[in-house]
Order: sequence, then structure tokens, then C-alpha cells
Amino acid sequence: MPRSRLSAVPAQQLALVFCIVALSGFMAVTYPGFASIENAEVIAMGFVFEGFMALGMTLVIVTGGIDLSVGAVLPFSAILTALLLRAGVPVPPAVFGALTIAALIGLLNALAISGLRVHPFIVTLATMLSLKGLNLVLTGGGPITGMPPGFAWIGQGRLLGVPIPLVLFAAMAVSLGLLLRHHRFWQQAYLIGGNPRAARTSGVRVSFVLAVVYVVSALCAATAGVIAAATHGSASAGFGQNAELRVITAVVIGGASLQGGSGSIGGTLLGLSFLALLYNAFSMTGVSTYWQDVATGALVLGSALATELVTRRRERR
Amino acid sequence: MVEVFGKRAGFGREAVLLATILALAAGLAVARPGFLASENLISIATGMVYDLPLAMAATLVLVVGGIDLSLGAVLALSSVVTTLSLRSGVPIPLAIAAGLGVAAAVGALNGLLVTRFRLAPFIVTLGTMSLARGAAVVLTSGYMVAGLPPAFLALGRERLLFLPVAIWIVVALLLFGHVLLRRYRPLHDAFYVGQNREAARLSGLRADALTASIYVTSAVLAGVAALFMSSRLGMGYARFGELAELRAIAAAVLGGAAFSGGAGSILGSALGVLLLALIQNGFVLLNASIHWQNVATGLVLLLAISIDAVRRRFSGERA
Amino acid sequence: MNALVTLDGVSKRYGQNTVLHDVSFEVAPGSIHAVVGENGAGKSTLMHILGGLHRPDGGRLLLDGKIVRLKGPLDAIERGISSVHQELSLFPNRTVAQNIMVRREPTRAGFVKRSELEARATEALARVGSGIDPTLPLGRLGIGEQQVVEIARALERRARLLVLDEPTAALTDQDALRLFEVLRDLRAKGVAVLYVSHRLPEVLALADTISVLRDGRLVATLVAAETSEDELVRLMVGREPEPLAERSVAEPGPDLLVVSNLGRAPAFADVNFSLRRGEVLGFAGLIGAGRTEVARVIFGADLLATGSMTLGGEPFSPRTPREAIALGVSYLTEDRRGLGLFLGLSLRDNVVAASQDAVVSRFGFLRPRRLKEVAMALLRRLDVRPLDDEREVSHLSGGNQQKVLLARWLMATPRVLIADEPTRGVDVGAKQRIHAELQGLSRSGVGIILVSSDLREVLSLSHRVAVFRAGRLVRILEAVEANEEAVMRYAAL
Repeated sequence: MPRSRLSAVPAQQLALVFCIVALSGFMAVTYPGFASIENAEVIAMGFVFEGFMALGMTLVIVTGGIDLSVGAVLPFSAILTALLLRAGVPVPPAVFGALTIAALIGLLNALAISGLRVHPFIVTLATMLSLKGLNLVLTGGGPITGMPPGFAWIGQGRLLGVPIPLVLFAAMAVSLGLLLRHHRFWQQAYLIGGNPRAARTSGVRVSFVLAVVYVVSALCAATAGVIAAATHGSASAGFGQNAELRVITAVVIGGASLQGGSGSIGGTLLGLSFLALLYNAFSMTGVSTYWQDVATGALVLGSALATELVTRRRERR
Repeated sequence: MVEVFGKRAGFGREAVLLATILALAAGLAVARPGFLASENLISIATGMVYDLPLAMAATLVLVVGGIDLSLGAVLALSSVVTTLSLRSGVPIPLAIAAGLGVAAAVGALNGLLVTRFRLAPFIVTLGTMSLARGAAVVLTSGYMVAGLPPAFLALGRERLLFLPVAIWIVVALLLFGHVLLRRYRPLHDAFYVGQNREAARLSGLRADALTASIYVTSAVLAGVAALFMSSRLGMGYARFGELAELRAIAAAVLGGAAFSGGAGSILGSALGVLLLALIQNGFVLLNASIHWQNVATGLVLLLAISIDAVRRRFSGERA
Repeated sequence: MNALVTLDGVSKRYGQNTVLHDVSFEVAPGSIHAVVGENGAGKSTLMHILGGLHRPDGGRLLLDGKIVRLKGPLDAIERGISSVHQELSLFPNRTVAQNIMVRREPTRAGFVKRSELEARATEALARVGSGIDPTLPLGRLGIGEQQVVEIARALERRARLLVLDEPTAALTDQDALRLFEVLRDLRAKGVAVLYVSHRLPEVLALADTISVLRDGRLVATLVAAETSEDELVRLMVGREPEPLAERSVAEPGPDLLVVSNLGRAPAFADVNFSLRRGEVLGFAGLIGAGRTEVARVIFGADLLATGSMTLGGEPFSPRTPREAIALGVSYLTEDRRGLGLFLGLSLRDNVVAASQDAVVSRFGFLRPRRLKEVAMALLRRLDVRPLDDEREVSHLSGGNQQKVLLARWLMATPRVLIADEPTRGVDVGAKQRIHAELQGLSRSGVGIILVSSDLREVLSLSHRVAVFRAGRLVRILEAVEANEEAVMRYAAL
């Protein structure tokens, strides 16, 4: 039977909370500008796009799969939205159109995974490569501009003083978090990831649940894309460059296992917070941001190693 | 004479690829006479010099049942180490050794974490990818490293029979690698290990040692690609090789490697690289945007896996 | 009394093999009905049919007196038949409560009502007399408790017939006793239990009625109180004699492998025996008695904890299979698909896997012609069909796959061959071929340890029989004193 990683997770999240508190504390003491609302906003906005993608990615990883295409779906949706807006389509249908196309991409991923029985890595790799190229073709390499003024509000406006993207992210995080934790349909993701055979014999419609999961992942990336277009006032193929790695990292250090069956939105939020803080700390302390990748790599390896050793120790009992 | 090691890497696969390539080449030659011009063919070959060693590396790792996401980053790091050494006056052979040595070190780390600590290759190489890429960025502060000694640059620009020396070296490496993988017992064992690790161990094969060696070899191959790239482009750069490992994996899968391990062919992967290169060249000749390269790669991969899936259904594979 | 479940003339074929032949019996509600038989008697198939996994080729299944055709495992569950297999169908990453109530969680607008979930789970557990904390993650529980959870889940699903497959195989004595209490309690509540096992003392103590299967046929259905172990054993093993391979008549030679005080917690301890040249030493015992674990330690696949071994007079303690193979020990695994064969590779590759030195040139290159020669020679000798060394081994039938695996170990020219369940799931023809091969090896001086649950096989081929029980080697019987009843007695009591 697959090993239970459940026992290792709370410890991991606790360690993460500790790291977050320690880092924040250190930064607040050393840099007066750190502990301010403005800086908090900067930190959050700097990572909000990864945040959206990480929500969907959490679901995918819980089912034991992976979605490499999110980093390409983001710019794709931004570009589609921009193109539609530039062609005179009103904002709501433009956004809706972009989201729908993204959902179809997610569906394509799921069909190839369940129907053709191909590993999610390969399927979403193919989708990612196709979309990346398509993005460049659509934009000719440059940014697309010419969006109506009303659209920018989605990315640059505020609600009760909080930037809209953060409001949307919070709403999405809370909704998905509650659904994943408490809703019977969404909990099937854990069943599929924990014991796919038993899931089937317990009545889970695996293909259907996977379809929903991959569609949601694509929609999360698409939402981020639309918001990115609104925030920057333009859409370019370079949006979300290499984001999928940061996203997977956030989800993994938040406690999800790539084998599936464990993970949570809460854990992912912790992982995101820590990474966002870390990168912000880099820029504030003047430690070259070039160390970011090194830190990320070390975090991934350290986290995986720690989880493995803890799981091993518990098994020995 | 040619052996069949498993359906998926059978001679049939390579033949199909070759046929597709020839058909594509024929079509291009008819549509655009410029296709057959020597400059065009040479440019295709030159473009493949970097992707071929990586595809070979990806194949080896997939055959043994793993995956290496760090190839592109290792390429970047290796190029940076070599070029920085050169710029500080280190003699060329030593600088090259340093670059390859760093690559080998990353490979050894991958191998260690996968075999000794039993971490999933995906996560391990994801981590080392970040580490290596980050190290490259730190070492160069993001700048390109130029000002390399002319002797080094000559390495990449030398020609032998109209083609860059690098191409000949890579072709030799591929042939060597292909034959070794199929016939050299210690390397051929990778098929056994990839198919069923425990059964391989129970048959007396040294699964862990082989796996670790292959991760080291894979990284060194990335180092070789780095060498060609630095020499040819005249610089070292931390952003070299972005997405390269994914394209390499795509080529390997086209060539018959299976994600689950125990199958693959270096010749097939090379043909995969060639096919993708031809497609890219086709778009260039047809004056279409060169950005279609990745689209083509993605679509071809989708097509290939669909065909595979259909074939599996009909061959009635016993579970 | 109206039967709950009735099997009427049920038959099942797999290709040429008839696995069940015209089996009929009834299970009444509120009773414990045991099904006993040796390995290969058809018990698993019977369970699969009841569980909706397979459809019978002949006969019919009746539920409450009405004919049913089960459409699949879910259908069986919905109709009240829940099976608990040895490989539990639970989710270690979920809590006990979530496992028990899986897909039947109480919800409000889709959101699971946690307190009610836990309450229902506690009730379900109470119904089986268990006080396990439902909020615990399942992976934290021992296998005995996990099994209880699965039973609780079956009850939650309104099971009226609970089918249990060798439930005590992985349990400690204490857990087993607790399980029996649970089952008796269920019986009192009107649930029917189908208890499939070959542990006779348990069965006699627990069941109301016992059906005996032998070679796919139902030989008798008895009232438990009116029968005895002796009678059951006789019914289980008695059959028309088939031509059997005879043990090699040559006298075994000097000691080849001597094992002293071998132990590896918790699988086995205190194992002592010697294997002589040319001898076939049978390892008999129930599944889980530790025979395979001993074999793996001898082969270096697992490390021994205590004890020592000598091979040909020299100290022998292989740390890896590679070392064992180099010293002439071969191990034919019982799990040919999982641990033995390389399913995606050709027959040829599978045969030469352990002896590549023989087909490799001086510089380490494989010699294709030699490879083919050697592989074909062995495949031909064992009569593997189809005789195509380049075919992928996954395409072969079970019997032929087993022959390929045997060929691999023959090629290694061992001094000691440990054959673990060499004819499990193998058709009669292949079985005879494999037996002939083992005899031949023994005649030429190879020492063979024959681990098998097929008593006839063990008895016909072995010079001596080592009987294992619960991790200990309880008795070594000489050929003259070894018969099926004697072995079963030591193995099962």
C-alpha cells in the first residue's frame, strides 16, 4: 500500500511557519521599511501570479499528476484577451472568451492523460511547448497594447484599499481551500492520488474528476493571465517565464508530495508566502537576487530530503 | 543483425522516423529549392550540435528509469565556469576540464540523491536545476562572459569537410553512444534497470551504481554541449539552455523512450532532433515566424504520443 | 431458512483451464460459512465472482432467491456483498472516518459535515466492537486495525454478505482473536460471512458450515461441529493420482549449504538445516510462514540479522544477489511478473539477464550471435512457445513466462537453486516440463530448495521436507515419513 505521508506534513508546515516568522522577524528588525503595509503589498503583488497558478497546481499534484503548461497558459490568456479587446470586443466577453479557451486546453490535457493513458508530464509538456510557440506567433515577439481604459481596473484598481488582484486571489484561495478540504466532490482528488485502484472500486469517476482538476488548473493560470494583462496594460509572450518551476516549488515545500494524495491549499499558501518573503528579502538586503534560484533549489532539495528522512523514521517504528 | 530491445525502441520506430524525415525533406526540397543549398543544410546541422548531446543525455536517463530536468541549467553553469576560467587566464584544457568537472559534480549530486536517498528524480533534478542555474547567475551577475582567447573560439569555428568540427564530434559521440547502449553490457543493463529495478537487482545487476553513473554521464554530456555553445557563440551565459532539457526529453520520447523507463534509442532520439530541426527549418524557409519551432515540437509530441496510444490499444498489450 | 446467497452450478474457465466446475452451495444470513481448499483449488476465483470482478461462464448466482448478474465490483457492493481482500482497498492518506465513509459522506450542499462523519464512523466501528479513534490517519494504524476499518466500511455500505480472503494471513494472534470476536458479533446481528482460508483450526473454531474445494470442484459441504481436521485434510487433498514426477533416485551427496540459527526479525528466526548435493529439500508451510523470506536471505536479497551459513564448506554471507549468483546460488522468484521478468523486453534478454558474462566479448560487448544461440538452446530445451527469442515476454502465457524465468537461472549454472513456487499459475504441460528440469538438475548434483504451497509437488520431488510455521522451521521430514496429512499437521496446527 502506498506509504502515508500524512504524518510528515504537519511537521513540515510547522517548520515552514517557523521559517516565515523567523525571516519576517529578522527583516523587520534589520530593515525599518520592511514591516509596512506598502512592502507587504509589494511582496504580495510580486508573487500573486504564481499564487493563482499554485492554487490549480495544488489540485493537480494532489491527484498525483503535474501541469507543466500553466506557465504558457498564463501569457496565452493574456494575449487572447488583449487581442480580443484590441479588436473592439467588450471586456466581459473578451475575458470570458479567453477563459473558455484556457478551459478547453485543460480539457485537452485531461483527455490525453485519462484517455490516451499518457503520463501527465509528457502531455502537459507537449501543451506547454505548443502554447509557448503559439504565444510568440500571436505577438510576433512584441507586446500587444491598445486595451480600453476600463480594463486596467482589474489589474490596477483597488477595493477598500486592497489591489483587486489580491482580492481576487484571496477569494479564489479561500474558495478552493474550502472546497478541497470539505467538499465531497473535490476530496476525490485525494482518493485518486492516494490509491487510484481503490478510488475506482469505491466509485470515483476518475476521468471526470481529472478533467475538472486540469480545467481548474488551466483556469487559474488564465485568470492570472487576464489580470497580468490588466496590470501591465499590455500582453507579451514573456509573461510568466519559468513560472511553473516556482509554482511547483511552492506547492512542494508547502507539503504536497509529487506522488499524490497529500497537500493542501493552506500548505501551498505557506509555501508561496515563504518564497515571496525570501525573494523580497533578497532584494531588500541587497543580497544579489541572483541567489534566488540557488535558494529555491536548496529549498526543494532540503524539503524533499527532510520529508523522506522523517517518513523513513516513522516507518521504522 | 539489429536487435530488438523491447517493442518501443524497436527498429520499426527509427524506420518510421527516418521515413517521415525523408518525406519532409523531399517536400521541402520541392517547395523551396533553397532547402538543398549547402548553407541551409549546414545551418541545420550546426543548430543541432547543442541539442544532440542533450537528447542523448535525456535518452540515457529515461532508459534507466529516471528523468533529468537539470540538463539546461548544467549546460549554462558549465559554460559559465569554462568561460570565466578562460577569462582569468586559465589554460584552455584546464578551463574545459573545470567546466566538465562542474557538470560531473552536479550529475553526481543527482545520482547520489536518487540512489542513496531514494528521492524522486523529478524533484531532485528540479532542485539541482535551480541550484545550477542560480550558481551560474551568481557567478556572472547575469552578464555574458566574453573576451575569450581566439584559440578557444577556433574550436567552434573550425571546419572539417564543410561542416563544423563540432558536428563530427557529436555524430561520433552519437554513433558511439548508440552502439554502446545497445551492445556494451554495462550500459545496456540500463534497459533492465529501467524496466524493473528490483528484478534487475535480483538478477545480479548493479542497479544503483549504474543509475548514478548515468546521471553523471548525462550531466557531462550537457557539459559537452556547453563547450560547443560557448566556443561557437564566443561567450558563456547563465541563460543558455533554457527549456533545452524539455526539448531533449521530447526528442527522446519521439525516438522511442518511455517515461516509465526501460526503453529508448539514441539513434531514435537523434532522428527526433533532426525531425524537429527540419520542421523549424521548414518554417524559416516558408518565411513563417521562427517561433513556430516550439509549437511544432509540442504538436509533433502530441501526435507521437497519440499514435503510440492507439498502437498500444490495438496490439493488445497484456497488462 | 432462506439462503442469502446461493451458488448454483457455477463454473469458470480461463482459456483452456477450468478453474471452477459446477460449484453449488448456499450461505444463510447470520452464519459464518468457510471455504477451504489448497492453493489453486479455486477459492480466489470464487471470491472474485461473488465480488463482481468476474462473471461465471456457467451456472448462476442468486441473491435472496433471485438470479443476479453482477455488473462489476460497485454493483456487488450496492447489492450488499462486500469483499475484504488481503491487499486492503483503503486510503492511507485519509483518516479512518474518511475511509469508512468514502463516497457516502454526509454532506450539506456538498460540504462534508465533519462531526456527523466522525459520529457515523464511530458508530460503524462500534458495530464491529472497535474503539479506534476515527480522526487518526489510516496509515498510522497497524494492519490488523486497518482490516477492522475495512470491515467497518463494509458494514457502513450495508453489507449483508462479507467475503473475507485469508484475513488472518498478516495478523498477529492477538489481532486474529479480535477479528473472530468481531465476526461472531456480526453473525449475531444477521450478517453472513464467507470466510475463505486454509487455516483449519481457525475455520473449525469459527465457522458454522464449511465447504471444501478441490481442483475447482466442491467436494463437500459440512457442518463444522460435525467434522474434524483429519476429515477436512482428507477431503482437501484426496484425489485421483496423476502421473507425477518422481524424486531423483540418486542418493544425495555431502552437505552443500549449511544454515545455522538463521534469523531476520520479524519474518523468521532460529532456522537450521543443511542442503546436500543433488538433494531436493522442500519448504512447505502456509503463506506467510516465512519461507520466501528465508530464501531471500540465502540469496542475499535481504540481509540476515542473526545466524550464519556455509556454502561448500566456506563461510557464505552474500550482501547482494550479485554476490550470491557469483558463488553459484540462484533464486527463482515467486513473483514472476513483479520481481522476475522484464516484461517489456524480449525472451532473449530475459533469459540472459543473470549470466551475461557468458555471452560477452573480452571488452564487454554483447555478442548477438552467441546470445541468440544460448537463449534459443534453453528456450528449446524448456519447450517455450512461441519459440521466438525476439518476442516480448509480456505476450506469453503464464506457463511459458515461468519457463523463461527458469531458463534464466538454468543459464547461470548454479550449485544451489532456490525455486519459489515454480509452478504457480502454470498449466499442466509447463508444470511437467519444469518438474522434469528440476529432477535433471538434482540428478546432476545441484542442490534444490523447493518452496511450494502445492503439497503434491513438494512431496513428489523432495528427498526431505522442511515444514515452516509462523516464522520457524518446525520439522524436517524424511521422504518416507512425509505425506500430505503429516505436513499439513505441522504447518497448520
